[in-house]
Amino acid sequence: MKPGRIYLDNCITTRPAPEVLEAMKPYFEEQYWYPGNFISTGEAINDAILGFGSTVAKAIGTNASELHFCSGGTLANNMAIKGLATAYGKAGGHVIVSVVDYPDLLTNAAYLEKQGFEVSYLSADGEGFINLQELKSAIRHDTFLFMTTAVNHVVGTIQPLAEIKAILEAADHKIYFHLDAGQAFGKIPLDVNALGVDTMSISAHKIHGPQGIGALYQRSGIKLGQLIHGVKRVDNLQTGGLNIALIAGFAKAVELTFGDFAASTAHLRELSDYLLSRLEAEIPEIELNGPRGDKRAPHNINVSIDYIEGEAITMMLDVLGITVATGSACASQGLKANYVLMAMGKNHVQSHGSMKFTLSRYTTKEDIDETVAALAGISKELRERSPLYNATHKER
Amino acid sequence: MQYSQKVLDHFMHPKNVGKMENPDATATEGSPACGDQVTVYLKVDEEKHTIEDISFLSYGCASNIATASIITELAKGKSLDEAKAITWRDAMEALDGLPPVKVHCSVLAADTLQTAISNYEIAHGLKEVPNFSKDTILEELKKIIYPKVGEDIVSLKMVKYVGLTDGDVLIDLNMMSFDQWRDNVAEEIREHLEKYPEVKNIQINFP
Repeated sequence: MKPGRIYLDNCITTRPAPEVLEAMKPYFEEQYWYPGNFISTGEAINDAILGFGSTVAKAIGTNASELHFCSGGTLANNMAIKGLATAYGKAGGHVIVSVVDYPDLLTNAAYLEKQGFEVSYLSADGEGFINLQELKSAIRHDTFLFMTTAVNHVVGTIQPLAEIKAILEAADHKIYFHLDAGQAFGKIPLDVNALGVDTMSISAHKIHGPQGIGALYQRSGIKLGQLIHGVKRVDNLQTGGLNIALIAGFAKAVELTFGDFAASTAHLRELSDYLLSRLEAEIPEIELNGPRGDKRAPHNINVSIDYIEGEAITMMLDVLGITVATGSACASQGLKANYVLMAMGKNHVQSHGSMKFTLSRYTTKEDIDETVAALAGISKELRERSPLYNATHKER
Repeated sequence: MQYSQKVLDHFMHPKNVGKMENPDATATEGSPACGDQVTVYLKVDEEKHTIEDISFLSYGCASNIATASIITELAKGKSLDEAKAITWRDAMEALDGLPPVKVHCSVLAADTLQTAISNYEIAHGLKEVPNFSKDTILEELKKIIYPKVGEDIVSLKMVKYVGLTDGDVLIDLNMMSFDQWRDNVAEEIREHLEKYPEVKNIQINFP
């Protein structure tokens, strides 16, 4: 079942479940058809897509008519944000987002600014929670869109979504609410009606589904300007071809994740609590980034290891067959410190020395023991090489 | 983007790593803000002016540790004059190359070695404290690597003008506004020049 490598970077992508691969197979081999009317092959695919749509939609408290399958979270975010701006934004209209949001949201915000919209960027506190007082005071008469990320992709902070909903609803006019649920889907309960969102993006490959498939929730009655123009198959908004096999895999991943949602999230929470307690016991001078306990997603632990740099740590773990992520500038394409950690008020050393572990249903206690043991050794070794450590720890 | 086997070897098993007790000279370059810092320690034979022993400490990524390791290997046993000729290009070559975005690590390691040698020479009356001039600035600019290609900005003819008036440094850089590395390069220039007490103000202009 388990490949040799310990993989703890599940917020980027997850291993497809064997059941998912099985569920996709028939749509590659036998039922490779496209949707269509009146002929049995086309109707079979119509029915299949509807069934899969219902499965996925049910997981977020809605039905298939409010769901668009698309290539993944980023396309879903673009369809929603640009779609809402086209449908409801007037030139110079006002948008609110936060500085710790997912890059999809921030790059779209920058795009909207270039198109003449005004954007307010809310700050975040030391644990990654967005500032709700700022949200209240940022709302203007021409604010038409608020967007945020349900679970922060770096530190796992769960945003106070109920409070956000209340603030948006208290405004004297309608403010459309888009939620990026890429990291939240399958990790915390998401009911689109309870959340009060108008659009929401989700993705399959974060929950052991295949890569290249996601979905956009669009509340009934909410208009979206069309992003992709083309031939209509089953979906009026997301035109063009569909990959039925991936949709089948997505639905299967949803069945697996939500079939035992309480147990599987409790399992993740137990493992991440265990990971944090082991890290704190084995490695001196580390600190948790983001909140402790229920206010962080159950699969994410992010710590800063003082005096040493994350790319070196990641490389050493990689040699030992362990995959993790770091917020170090040295490991990034742009040589920049992680913007979320910096926005949370962390300093450069804390950002460069930050390590992110994200767990999945396949993570075991043994994986964690092995990782912590390896990391303890690596931290000791790299600290002995570090001038910052030597300067402050003379007698060892 | 991948490291060579030599980089990995020197990263996993660095040579001459560790703090030296009673060194004859030492230097620290870089800063935690940039994510890399190197300290070099020297033991110098006073008669022969050779580097008897050398060691380093590194806060930084794999290539930072590997380049510091190789630079100590290159300098060990050499005369001070021979060691002064060691450049970041030598370190790169000895490591079978570095990815372009990591070339600045080799500059930091070579730079720290040179500063340690200079500190030794000044302390032992072998040379005067150099005067700060436009040449000093130009020498520092030769240590700034354009991460996209892994070459220094002077060789790439990106420096159009260098001015120095009463501690005010003026640099014109030929980098376009859409260049994703512009902020990195400007930040690194500031860091290299701010360490000189003679520098009061740095202005960097772009087209």
